[in-house]
Amino acid sequence: MKSLFRFFMLAFLLMPAMTLVSSAQDSTQTEVNKKNLSAASGKTKMLLTGAGWFGFAYDKDAKLNFNSYGFAPVFLWKISDKLFFESEIEAPQGEFELEFAKLNYAVNNYISIGAGRMLTPFGAYGEKWEPAFIERFPNNPIIPDEDFLPGGTHLNWGAIMGLDVRGRVPLGNSRLSYVLFVSNGPSLDNSNGLIDYENLDDNNANKQVGGRIGLLPFSNSCLEVGFSYEQGIAGNSEDSVYQINSEWKDYSKVGASAMAVDLNFVKSIPKIKSIISVKGQFGSYMVDDAYYSVPEGFTANNYAPGDSTLYTFNNTLQNYYAQFSFRPALLKNKCLKNVELLFRYNSLTEPKDAAWSEKDNNGAGGVVTRLDIGLCYWLNWRTGLRFAYEGTTHVNGEQSNELLARFVMGF
Amino acid sequence: MKKITSLSITIIFSIGILLFINGCAATEKVTAKSGAQIWGENCLRCHNAPDPVDYSDAQWETVGMHMKQRVNNLTEAEINKVVEFLQSAN
Ligand code: HEC
Repeated sequence: MKSLFRFFMLAFLLMPAMTLVSSAQDSTQTEVNKKNLSAASGKTKMLLTGAGWFGFAYDKDAKLNFNSYGFAPVFLWKISDKLFFESEIEAPQGEFELEFAKLNYAVNNYISIGAGRMLTPFGAYGEKWEPAFIERFPNNPIIPDEDFLPGGTHLNWGAIMGLDVRGRVPLGNSRLSYVLFVSNGPSLDNSNGLIDYENLDDNNANKQVGGRIGLLPFSNSCLEVGFSYEQGIAGNSEDSVYQINSEWKDYSKVGASAMAVDLNFVKSIPKIKSIISVKGQFGSYMVDDAYYSVPEGFTANNYAPGDSTLYTFNNTLQNYYAQFSFRPALLKNKCLKNVELLFRYNSLTEPKDAAWSEKDNNGAGGVVTRLDIGLCYWLNWRTGLRFAYEGTTHVNGEQSNELLARFVMGF
Repeated sequence: MKKITSLSITIIFSIGILLFINGCAATEKVTAKSGAQIWGENCLRCHNAPDPVDYSDAQWETVGMHMKQRVNNLTEAEINKVVEFLQSAN
């Protein structure tokens, strides 16, 4: 654990040195470009942008429900050629929350350092594909979040407090990008073993470290594959203790780690006059073994030796989704070229022996799957109408179906 | 712990590769791309390709800085080319 932390620290220190080597290459070109840019008209470098949306859901029981609205203004400031500030205030269901506020400093052409509250640079969905004007469906893919887990848990997206170093490396015809980050890290709910990554105040002395490496193998950038990893201690430093085999244990050493693989393929294919895209992300979230109190009425599979008030479970959660979309954007027909068809398959496997995971009728855990079939009609590049059928199959085999619609306006 | 060790090795290995390839410059094929071409290939990977007329010249500079962070795989020279293209077409 310590050595991994040291390694990351070393990597942080090495990155600027590495990138300095390659930065000399196109500095002449940059100077020319900068001169051109400084001749641009207007001085205001502050930009207010973002999105607003409104949506509804329809299902057999609740009938029509105008259930979704939100407003997410994004404030961007270019302070100098090297300093940049970005922030977003999001009001997903009318409640305002500072989503992120981050200062970035460009060290050179290839590397920058960021600090503040930032979207988690883990996987691609949270940082790159989640904003309402980018998400082509009226709903999000299945993620291990409050829809499926108890109590507002933020497992794999949201924001972290910390520092990041990000950069890019030219690689012949390919490209490589990396982000390394240090943050307050996850916190453990010691009543049930749930993890929350949105930890604004650190709950222990240990910092979380993580990062993502993105590889774009082809010169036309049509494919990006990303690998992410993060790790930290989740237990609180002053956590309660319990006894196993007359040995005292506490939660302060309970660690949490996660890995993700994301993929993005986007290509315009003139032969079929269309743009096709395949996107997906797989995530696995692991928490070290620990014992938790057995909630009332729950029959556990693994009780503590000699103590039936405590139980343990393999605290690993996995989710993935894969999505395909097709838009005949190169057609002349004004209407058809704005239509995008979408398919998405989602899967979530919660820890099957946890008291809080979905169970089948025999009390066993399993997999929740969901199929989304969508249609998007674009009015411009960031404004459009989204419709989707969402069919969920629960662990007990129960099916629930919904029709969703959302109008998103990017501004 | 085993899992952690193997993951650390993977990360160290990846950074090793990164160190190695850091020396490799972009090929002529990549550096010769125009701003319009980079915009057409890169700016539609997450959202649709943005419309140049949506922002003023100064605002495009700010967007350029923002996207440099988010996209994270374009060099400053490439982002500048895209910004110049968008400024010329707005
Ligand atoms: C890796 C994914 C990704 C790629 C590739 C990408 N963008 Fe973005 N873009 C985003 C995200 C995410 C946002 C929304 C940021 C937010 O609201 O937090 C965004 C927002 C924008 C906006 C709205 C204003 C702003 O800055 O928020 C513009 C304009 C834009 N992008 C232009 C571009 C251009 C030009 C390119 C090509 C150089 C590009 N984008 C490539 C992810 C991407």
